[in-house]
Amino acid sequence: MVLEATMICIDNSEWMRNGDYSPSRLRAQADAVSLICGAKTQSNPENTVGILTMGGKGVRVLTTPTTDLGKILACMHELDIGGEMNIAAGIQVAQLALKHRQNKNQRQRIIVFAGSPVKYDRKVMEMIGKKLKKNSVAIDIVNFGEDDDGKPEKLEALLAAVNNNDSSHLVHVPTGPNALSDVLISSPVFTADGEGGSGFAAAAAAAAAGGVSDFDFGVDPNIDPELALALRVSMEEERARQEAAAKRAADEASRQGKEEEPSSNSQDATMTDNTNNTAAETTEKTADPMDEEKSLLERAFAMSMGTSVSDTSMADADTSKATDEDKELALALQMSMQDDTKDPSNQSDMSKVLGDQSFVSSILTSLPGVDPNDPSVKDLIASLQGQPEVCP
Amino acid sequence: MSAESTTAINRSIVDLLDFIDWSGVECLNHNTAHSLPNAIKQGYREDEGLYLESDADEQLLIYLPFTQVVKLHSIVVKGPEEEGPKTVKLFSNREHMGFSNVNDFPPSDTAVLTPDNLKGKPVVLKFVKFQNVRSLTIFIEDNQSGSEVTKVDKIALFGTTVETTDMKGLKKIEDNH
Repeated sequence: MVLEATMICIDNSEWMRNGDYSPSRLRAQADAVSLICGAKTQSNPENTVGILTMGGKGVRVLTTPTTDLGKILACMHELDIGGEMNIAAGIQVAQLALKHRQNKNQRQRIIVFAGSPVKYDRKVMEMIGKKLKKNSVAIDIVNFGEDDDGKPEKLEALLAAVNNNDSSHLVHVPTGPNALSDVLISSPVFTADGEGGSGFAAAAAAAAAGGVSDFDFGVDPNIDPELALALRVSMEEERARQEAAAKRAADEASRQGKEEEPSSNSQDATMTDNTNNTAAETTEKTADPMDEEKSLLERAFAMSMGTSVSDTSMADADTSKATDEDKELALALQMSMQDDTKDPSNQSDMSKVLGDQSFVSSILTSLPGVDPNDPSVKDLIASLQGQPEVCP
Repeated sequence: MSAESTTAINRSIVDLLDFIDWSGVECLNHNTAHSLPNAIKQGYREDEGLYLESDADEQLLIYLPFTQVVKLHSIVVKGPEEEGPKTVKLFSNREHMGFSNVNDFPPSDTAVLTPDNLKGKPVVLKFVKFQNVRSLTIFIEDNQSGSEVTKVDKIALFGTTVETTDMKGLKKIEDNH
């Protein structure tokens, strides 16, 4: 809850037209800036934030440090792109703006968004850093966008010159699916604010991205600890199971491992489609029933192969939900058979296994929650009698 | 030394340590491990091991507000022979100066410290310039040997208070009745 005056230096040079951070680099910066302003004001109501742009015709101060968020957001709408970023002048003007802040008790901080190449050399950056340190100004540098050679070193030289007891930070944001703001939320730029800031940041993360954030499983432990814990536990169980499965595969013939892995991966895909529509990379982070389902299937196959089940982490796998399981089981078996058709080397072994109807029905009956008299299960068993086909 | 009591008119020169307003004290470019209280606070400043040290370069800017108006007579600055301060500029009643504007206006007084001073000999200031001091800014511009880092063992200010607001004296008079 430190009392702080912040100047944010925005890069609005021509390089910011690029769309590698959606929707464009400039708008990604604008989003990040509004989040930062919110976090700062929330962590201490007396904090002030000001904005200046470094590109265009020259460095231009849009607002001097103020507590009024509305004014800041209004300025963000008026940003236009052009020119080249002048980082040295930008930082110096920011320092001057901070020097003339109303409340001299506030600490001074500059946040620089460095998206385009830095045309100054290391010496200049170090001198600027020294001046900042002398006047006890902390700086946060966000390195994104252009990555020409020498830029990371120059920024690191600047950071080293300014840094005093870790009050200054440098954050690299690579291009990728994650938005600029999301990466920043979990970085020291936000979390250095302390409890108030991180609470705000957490709420913003949950609201904005809907799962694609650096919090594990897209759920902030602050908001919903039980769900986060449950997801984490199931994730670890799944990881343990997969490791055990991989170990079994290594021990036994490699075919077994291939069968189990593709089937479980395809189950992942299926289940994800069925349950929620999150992004593809969160396929592993699904709810508990699916994990238990997979584990049962793997155990069944393992038993059929005559290997001993080494992992005991699925002790609770028996408590599964019935309705989902029927459908999933059927689909899973079909998918695994589909994989067999694609992979000729597996086919003989797999179809031998599944062709044995008595064996299959014994598996199905052994699984709790599966009623062998259920029509869908009966259909499935019937279809197993014939050749493996493409399933409807 | 503590402030003397009884008569309000005859004020002798005392250590102004008691009148420093600690909530407003600032020091720029100091090394956080070796900070200002080491040089000013009673007890700390007598300790040779505790000193104030500069950080990025050899200059230091110290801002000391007072709880009441004082007249400043002399100062003592003690430091090591090599890295002790040399040129010290004093500004009275200028708030929140920075390194960029120290040269913008003339100092109320400038002291060039000799090795004697660094051992404890007080520097007598132009008393007429310091008659009405609410705050004092001490700018240490360079040090004796020109090294990168300046070290200060002790800073002591001597002077008198201005008004007859000696509460201890007041109480004593009442007791006599």
